[in-house]
Amino acid sequence: MKKLIYLLTFLALAFLLPAQTVEFEKDNFPGRKDELKAARKQLDIGIEFFMQGRREFDDFRRGFVSEFKYLPVSQYDYRKAGYKNFRDALSPLMEAQKFNPKNARLNYMLGFIWFISDPSNPETLKFFETVIKLDGEVEPDDYYWLAWAYHLNDKWDLAIQYYKVYLAHIQAKGKNPYEIDDVNKKIAECNVGKELSAKPERVFVDNLGSEVNTSWPDYGPSITADEETVIFTARRDNSTGGKRDDGDNGYYEDVYVSYKKNGKWQTSTQLSKNVNSDGHDAAAGLSPDGSKLYVYRHSGKDGGDLYESTLFGADWEAPVHMNKNINTRYHESSVSTSFDGKRLYFVSDKESGLGDRDIYYSDMDVKGEWGPAKNIGSMINTKYGEEAVFMHPDGVTMYFSSKGHNTMGGYDIFKTTLAPNGLWSKPVNLGYPINGPDDDVFFVVSGSGSRAYFASAKTGGFGDKDLYRITFLGPEKTPLLNSSDQLIAMRANPVSNLKVENEVEVKMAKVTILKGVVTDAKTNQPLESAIELVDNDKNVVIATFKSNSATGKYLVTLPSGKNYGLAVKRDGYLFHSENFNLPEGADYQEFTKDVALKKIEIGSIIVLKNIFFDFDKATIRPESANELERLIKLLNDNPTIKIELGSHTDSKGSDEYNMKLSDSRSNSVVSYLIGKGISASRLVAKGYGETKPIDTNDTDEGRQNNRRTEFKILEK
Amino acid sequence: MKKSLLGLFFICSAFLNAQDTVKVATNMTPDQLAELDYNNGLAALKKNDPTTAVDMFTKALTAKPNFDKALANRAIAYTHLKKHAEAIKDINDAIKINPQNPDTYFNKGLIFFETNQKDSEQVALDYCLKLKPTHAEAAYYKGLAHYESNEPDKAITFYSQAITSNPQYVYAYNDRASVKRSKGDYAGAIADYEKALSIDGSLVFIHNNLGSAYRLNKNYTKAVEAYSAAYQKNPAYLTALINRGAANFESNNLKAAQTDFEDALKKDPDNSFCYNNLSSIALKNKDYKKAESMAKLAIDHDEKNGAAYYNRGIARQMLRDTDGSCADWKKALTLGVESAKAFINSSCE
Repeated sequence: MKKLIYLLTFLALAFLLPAQTVEFEKDNFPGRKDELKAARKQLDIGIEFFMQGRREFDDFRRGFVSEFKYLPVSQYDYRKAGYKNFRDALSPLMEAQKFNPKNARLNYMLGFIWFISDPSNPETLKFFETVIKLDGEVEPDDYYWLAWAYHLNDKWDLAIQYYKVYLAHIQAKGKNPYEIDDVNKKIAECNVGKELSAKPERVFVDNLGSEVNTSWPDYGPSITADEETVIFTARRDNSTGGKRDDGDNGYYEDVYVSYKKNGKWQTSTQLSKNVNSDGHDAAAGLSPDGSKLYVYRHSGKDGGDLYESTLFGADWEAPVHMNKNINTRYHESSVSTSFDGKRLYFVSDKESGLGDRDIYYSDMDVKGEWGPAKNIGSMINTKYGEEAVFMHPDGVTMYFSSKGHNTMGGYDIFKTTLAPNGLWSKPVNLGYPINGPDDDVFFVVSGSGSRAYFASAKTGGFGDKDLYRITFLGPEKTPLLNSSDQLIAMRANPVSNLKVENEVEVKMAKVTILKGVVTDAKTNQPLESAIELVDNDKNVVIATFKSNSATGKYLVTLPSGKNYGLAVKRDGYLFHSENFNLPEGADYQEFTKDVALKKIEIGSIIVLKNIFFDFDKATIRPESANELERLIKLLNDNPTIKIELGSHTDSKGSDEYNMKLSDSRSNSVVSYLIGKGISASRLVAKGYGETKPIDTNDTDEGRQNNRRTEFKILEK
Repeated sequence: MKKSLLGLFFICSAFLNAQDTVKVATNMTPDQLAELDYNNGLAALKKNDPTTAVDMFTKALTAKPNFDKALANRAIAYTHLKKHAEAIKDINDAIKINPQNPDTYFNKGLIFFETNQKDSEQVALDYCLKLKPTHAEAAYYKGLAHYESNEPDKAITFYSQAITSNPQYVYAYNDRASVKRSKGDYAGAIADYEKALSIDGSLVFIHNNLGSAYRLNKNYTKAVEAYSAAYQKNPAYLTALINRGAANFESNNLKAAQTDFEDALKKDPDNSFCYNNLSSIALKNKDYKKAESMAKLAIDHDEKNGAAYYNRGIARQMLRDTDGSCADWKKALTLGVESAKAFINSSCE
């Protein structure tokens, strides 16, 4: 059923195309007889060369199938078979093409020649597409080559489409199974390519630059672990001996080196003639420490062998042919050693392999010789051929190229790791764009694993193959956003959740705040001083405290509705006494009493506000005791001072009476003091009556202020 | 009564800018003096003046040494002053006097919580709950302690107990939602946040948390709605605006995200988060130079913004500055951005 569908598709495509092939016949070119003749001549010449080339090509193909039991899977497998004849055919055919660009068969030949020399070139596609437009049936394998050309240009869907058309054709014709297998493999490769290219690996691919690369083929890089030295193969016009290879007309290979200085690659140079001979000398590998270089040479008899060169000083010694455990009469190439130099991995196409080229390994024996080679096994090697083995210095990761596994075309690079049990993991395709439908080989990875080096003929280079560096970027990196939440409601301030005990009910008196500032009377500077508070009703000292040393401030809370005596004392100063009532009032009131203390100086006068007498008498009341004690202490602390005790009355009563009363009261105080041990010689009693009021006598408050006992410093 | 008090003397003295101690003589009864001082201490505590509160409670205790309430409240004042040892001593003394007060145990638990003494905290809270199983706050803090000990299931149990004791306990719903969110139960978290908001819709941080739960559940439309509600209720709450930008970013609405971050920057030009998030947008747009410059601004405004170093590392890698990117990722890792480790391993020497 499938075959039928493809056949119908094939026929439909051919049938629906409007264009027709134009044969080189006079009816198609009226009036251009001579030109037609010349074109036909060129065409005949071209066809002759082409057919010869095609015969060589087909012979090679048959031989390949005979040897490997499958068709060439890479365009390079054809090794440019028939190339010389195709090259000779190209010019006359192009002349004919100029005259008649619409001949299907001619376009087919040109497409084929382009494919053999440069399969991914757009010219290849152009000629093959023209064939399909003109006459798809003229050369049915045109679909195959067109599909492969699309394949090599990453046009996966178109490639699959035409591969399937061709598959239907060959199945209908009953072609041999190798062809069917080949087309199916290529369809599978396209599907892999389609899948992997849809999820490209994130890499930077950077050309190593013009100091390393040239317009000639530069390929096969080996790198030291520190990425400071790259050794590679090139086929340049300065090749040692200056000879060209007959097979492809390219210069013989030589080994080149470039060193990195200050992060920049220096101009690449040829290794000396110790290493480079007149023939092919290719870099096949480098030991991780850069001390041993493995060189591939092909003498024509040995199928290509491996040599080992040792770095001696600044130069490489002449390469030594590796022993028979490594080299055979077959092709040996590509070497990599383990990080400790005890195991050698290499590639050989000897008969004992699993297919085309395989990877082998050899362990160094006790004598320091490489032992018998062993095939690395079917987990790695396939029937399609492996190449370019590279063992990473980590000792477990191997990179190699294979045309088998899930390649997307030709050689792809794969990675496998060595498990502790000695088994290799299933190889993983390194993905697109590291790999593509073309051959991807000679891939070496830096010691850090973050970069790799390889060769490619991709566009944008300096010509043919160039060396490139891959920087692995890893998976797509999702940017990190800043955002925040308050996930826990109370975490920020748990103390605020503490359970506070409630207020208690207190039955308390109304209070008054008494506050004030104690200063020096002259300087107004704040003074620290002792303050004594007396309940005059009870005649008891209820508090002693100090004013603030810095500010002179004091503050007390007192029950209201009482009479208090306040005494402020400081050494070197006369004490200050106050007598005051705190009247009943609001629940809370403030009362300010600033005090200016006077220094003990002659003439200083202090009112003794807390000396009380019985009404109209000179009898000192008991509540005067505290004030008098302060006075006694002052006299005792200052034994040289002499004072006058003066008593004053208000204006009520006669002057004579008041004078007498005041005299009596001052004498009472002096007598009290003498009775307490103060020398009489230090005391003078003086009654002033109402002669020296300090306030008005028209008010109760004024009269109260005028009724007073003072003392004055007479001597000091 | 007044007459009986007239015979009493009460004096207390204190100095403005007090630096001297005053001995108070009184002939008030000690209990009355203590109660008065206690109330004054309480008033000071409520006015956030724990120093005065401690003084007043101390006076109260001088007059009435077995005054358990004064001890309990002085403990609180000490806690505010970060004098935790003194606080615990007072609490223990209060418990000796009155061992049946669950609140005292609760306070003890919280003081241990404050000082990160988890075992002691648990014992105290357990006592509290033993005396009063319906003590919602004690259950709440048990939940919180388990949450912070990475025991989400136990946390949920206690938060649920708190909710049972007090069905209007908004914070318990919020916290339980956050625990559910941490377990990946976004639907459960959303239900609890919404319940909390049904009790008190004015709490913008819960609207914000709800938005984040929706965001984690990849319901960006609802997330944007919730963040918008938080921001509308309090336009100064830039957290919601920035988070809304993040939700817009994650739903690939980069234009709206950019507007949110830029609006937030207009209100707070020093907001490191906004600069970093603008860097994320630039990375998405593959504008690596802008991403680098925005991340730099984020770092300039907050040198501990690990995400900014992380993002700048990405930008620098894409600008081929390998050394710079690796230095940034290493710095991000030191600032707790664990995901930087993979980058360092894969891309740095």
